[in-house]
Amino acid sequence: MNVILTKEELERYKRQIIIPSIGKDGQEKLKKSKVFVAGFGGLGSISAQYLVAAGVGSIKVIDKDVVDISNLNRQIIHWTCDLGKKKAESGLYKLKNLNPHCNIEAISVELDETNVYGIIGDSHIIVDATDNLETRRVLNRVSLEKSIPFIYGGVDGFSGMVTTFVPHETPCFDCLFPFDIKKKGAIGVVGPTPGIIASIQVMEAIKLILGIEGTLKGRLLYFSGIDMLFREVKVEKNPECPVCSRYRAGL
Amino acid sequence: MAARDKIEVVINGVREVVPKDITIAGLIEIYNERDGGLIVEQNNRYVFPQRYGSTIVKQGDRIEFINPDFGG
Repeated sequence: MNVILTKEELERYKRQIIIPSIGKDGQEKLKKSKVFVAGFGGLGSISAQYLVAAGVGSIKVIDKDVVDISNLNRQIIHWTCDLGKKKAESGLYKLKNLNPHCNIEAISVELDETNVYGIIGDSHIIVDATDNLETRRVLNRVSLEKSIPFIYGGVDGFSGMVTTFVPHETPCFDCLFPFDIKKKGAIGVVGPTPGIIASIQVMEAIKLILGIEGTLKGRLLYFSGIDMLFREVKVEKNPECPVCSRYRAGL
Repeated sequence: MAARDKIEVVINGVREVVPKDITIAGLIEIYNERDGGLIVEQNNRYVFPQRYGSTIVKQGDRIEFINPDFGG
């Protein structure tokens, strides 16, 4: 598909286009790309806004919840005037006003095994902005089955972690997190933590779209806001992973 | 425990003396790391949980116990 940037878009994205590794061609690649964001909470509030601001052409966000007053310390796409509204509705309004050149869809439904394939559709990248293991496992399976890169992000308190799973190339989510853990209930989070982690996720998404090397493929980056430290762990495919080994074997 | 039966390692950034030939599973027990989702890093490499019992900790190893973050 031939994508032409309008005069207004060339001006809007000027500070990206002047970066040699982006240029007009890169900006057109961003416009052609389709990104799925799973969640409109702390992470999704940030990642959806940066994706839209960067000029990603099509963005789909899903979240079943309504805006609660306890969300507002970190979910900064939602404001006090949005209390009680569906997050999908509140977020969509802000995103459309941020960048009218993007094709944005926000869906208020719970993501599960039955609807996930249809909702993700032909997205090129999955950005994780969920708050639980179960949904991440569902996203991981879709990522493997449809060969869509899956950018994981998670936060807790002052810390967070992020990595990029590329099907058949890197470990998958279940390689790294094979365990079942009990839900802790509500966890504490300071706003800057999802701000930092979601910003890194979007940096990853942009680099994947543009084909820029140096992503977090095979590297789990974790951040401690208490110590103000970033560290990384090299991660490999788990030869005993029951999930991605099925796809490796072509089953 | 005689000195020859001990090794020095760095655990979560702190120098520690632990028994020679201890496994990752042994360290988890000694340090009472109860998080079911614990991530273990040995010299910047992720250790697969199924290998905790067979992975030996060596003199000078840097071990990190990391609690995964699943909030959003």
